[in-house]
Amino acid sequence: MKINILYGTETGNSEMLCEDLESEFGDDHELEIMNLAEVDPADLDLSVFHVFVSSSYGDGELPASAKPFAEKLEGSDTDLAGLSFAIFGLGDSDYETFGHGSEQLADMLVKHNAKQVGPRVIHDAQGDDLAEDVAFPWFAERVAEAEAMSDAA
Amino acid sequence: MTRKIAIIGAGPSGCYLAQALLKQDATVEIDIIDRLPVPFGLVRYGVAPDHQGTKAVSRQFARLFERQGVNFIGNLDICTDAHGGDISLDDLRAIYDVVVLATGLSSDRKLGIAGEDLQGVVGSGVLTRAWNDHPDSKDSELPAPGKQVAIIGNGNVAMDVLRILSKQDHEYEGSDFGSHHAESIAAAKVERIEVIGRSPAGMAKFDPVMVKEIGKSAGLKFEIHDLDFDAASDSENPKIAALNGLAEIEPDAKRCTISFRFGWSPVSFIGADGKLNALHIARADGSETLELPCDMAVTAVGFSDDQRLGRMDLIESAADLDNGRLGDGLYAAGWFRRGPQGTIPDNRSDSQIVAAAIAQDLATMPESDAPGREALFARFDHLTDYAAWQRIDEHERASCTEGRLRNKLRTRRDMLKLALNVTETTQ
Ligand SMILES: Cc1cc2nc3c(=O)[nH]c(=O)nc-3n(C[C@H](O)[C@H](O)[C@H](O)COP(=O)(O)OP(=O)(O)OC[C@H]3O[C@@H](n4cnc5c(N)ncnc54)[C@H](O)[C@@H]3O)c2cc1C
Ligand SMILES: Cc1cc2nc3c(=O)[nH]c(=O)nc-3n(C[C@H](O)[C@H](O)[C@H](O)COP(=O)(O)O)c2cc1C
Repeated sequence: MKINILYGTETGNSEMLCEDLESEFGDDHELEIMNLAEVDPADLDLSVFHVFVSSSYGDGELPASAKPFAEKLEGSDTDLAGLSFAIFGLGDSDYETFGHGSEQLADMLVKHNAKQVGPRVIHDAQGDDLAEDVAFPWFAERVAEAEAMSDAA
Repeated sequence: MTRKIAIIGAGPSGCYLAQALLKQDATVEIDIIDRLPVPFGLVRYGVAPDHQGTKAVSRQFARLFERQGVNFIGNLDICTDAHGGDISLDDLRAIYDVVVLATGLSSDRKLGIAGEDLQGVVGSGVLTRAWNDHPDSKDSELPAPGKQVAIIGNGNVAMDVLRILSKQDHEYEGSDFGSHHAESIAAAKVERIEVIGRSPAGMAKFDPVMVKEIGKSAGLKFEIHDLDFDAASDSENPKIAALNGLAEIEPDAKRCTISFRFGWSPVSFIGADGKLNALHIARADGSETLELPCDMAVTAVGFSDDQRLGRMDLIESAADLDNGRLGDGLYAAGWFRRGPQGTIPDNRSDSQIVAAAIAQDLATMPESDAPGREALFARFDHLTDYAAWQRIDEHERASCTEGRLRNKLRTRRDMLKLALNVTETTQ
């Protein structure tokens, strides 16, 4: 299946996770990885399944590389109806606003009529798990759901 | 032909630079050299021990060495000829095609006021290195935490110092803060901490979230002075909102009072018999002065060059400092290039810019037969490698006490024992 993976990052953890997804799933699926900083919401291909990966900063804000995308989407009437997406967060449970960056992004996409597939899971930088260990099974499940949806359609 | 690149400094900027260079050109051979036996710079020795989430960025850097073929060469000190060290910058340039200086800025900036050398006055760099168990930090340089502390500066490092002096021992669970440090702070029973900033509250350098974090520790009472100093106090301003949040805290049992003062400059440290007992501060226009009793003062007003690499001359004669070009085959990145401002993410974007410049120059650089690391291995037998760091890392994790993540080795001797012995027996 064709999947576009878009990440928002500051220190690069989210980007590295996307590279890991590419090595793990790239043979079975057609993956394209992009930095959100280089994506205009109006240009999203609504027929392709999208996976967003984003960390949180400041006081539960989006990371710098996701901010221009969010600002453009927020202020526009871009209609994302037809777009299915899943979203994975990176965060740190030391902050009360754990995972709020990815939450904001998910809410914004849904508000513009995109459809979220499956739960948003957040990797905790405080924890012992590596991001890829949390994200791989999550990704496999979301892709299975997306495939089932496109088969049904 | 493989280009040989030496990055001096295994902190965030050196590591991000290697990462970005490999993305530009996977054929280059990169050695990251550090004067310490272990990698990661201020991620290991600056970032606060109770901010493990931030330190976790080293997992990203570990990949460079574990999977991406980058070499770590530790325990090698690079200096100008005048400063001794193991090898001079010129000698190093002769054996590599490209040398990048990513050595950071580690000296505490001085205030330049009277009494700065009194016993009890300490720079935030010296203090945070000690708290992070940096092998070059000497306990003798460190004043015992006092009952009354003054912190000069309003940046995030000042907030780190404030938080660590005001937290309680049991709050370090899950950190790698040495219990000897936590115990000596607990034993001091700090009663009052004065935090002095030059700018108005709304323009202070700290991040609001750092201020909020301080309020999480039980038993602290906050006094926020001078909110109306200079700029009208705007409660919408996130920094002021965070301070107002602290002011509302009513502790059940007060341990310590923390007082924030804005719009003051330090004038002098006052002492008797070589020991600090007060800090004298004044308004910029001299309209008001105050004397704050204190037996410990921490200056957290930024960092400067340790002068061992002749940075001033290199920066002043740089060909294209904006892109990190110092001279032929010589580059600078991170704090060394930009000065002591900016967080870990800032170094990432910075290093991406410098990597692009290097990749561009490599395209037209004449071929060479630079020997690279082989020449270092031939000349020195005390170098550490990444496997040595992995042994140290494993040892530190395995030997930690209850509630801690690791127990850092505190001396070079202990590190080298683990690093070099095993190498000898496996060779
Ligand atoms: C106390 C403190 C706390 C901080 N907390 C945070 C935080 O929570 N979050 C955040 O984003 N940023 C934080 N920062 C900022 C962050 O640490 C810096 O932005 C970053 O470390 C700068 O990276 P660098 O690689 O330029 O320098 P450094 O990290 O200082 O790395 C330089 C490396 O070069 C080596 N070196 C120096 N001289 C030589 C020599 N002559 N020969 C060989 N090697 C040499 C050093 O041993 C060191 O390993 C903090 C800074 C400080 C001082
Ligand atoms: C200054 C700072 C603020 C942060 N704020 C939050 C936050 O509000 N909520 C959260 O869940 N994580 C927060 N984090 C944690 C990051 O999201 C986490 O470290 C993540 O792994 C970073 O991923 P990235 O490298 O892709 O940006 C913060 C980290 C830093 C350094």
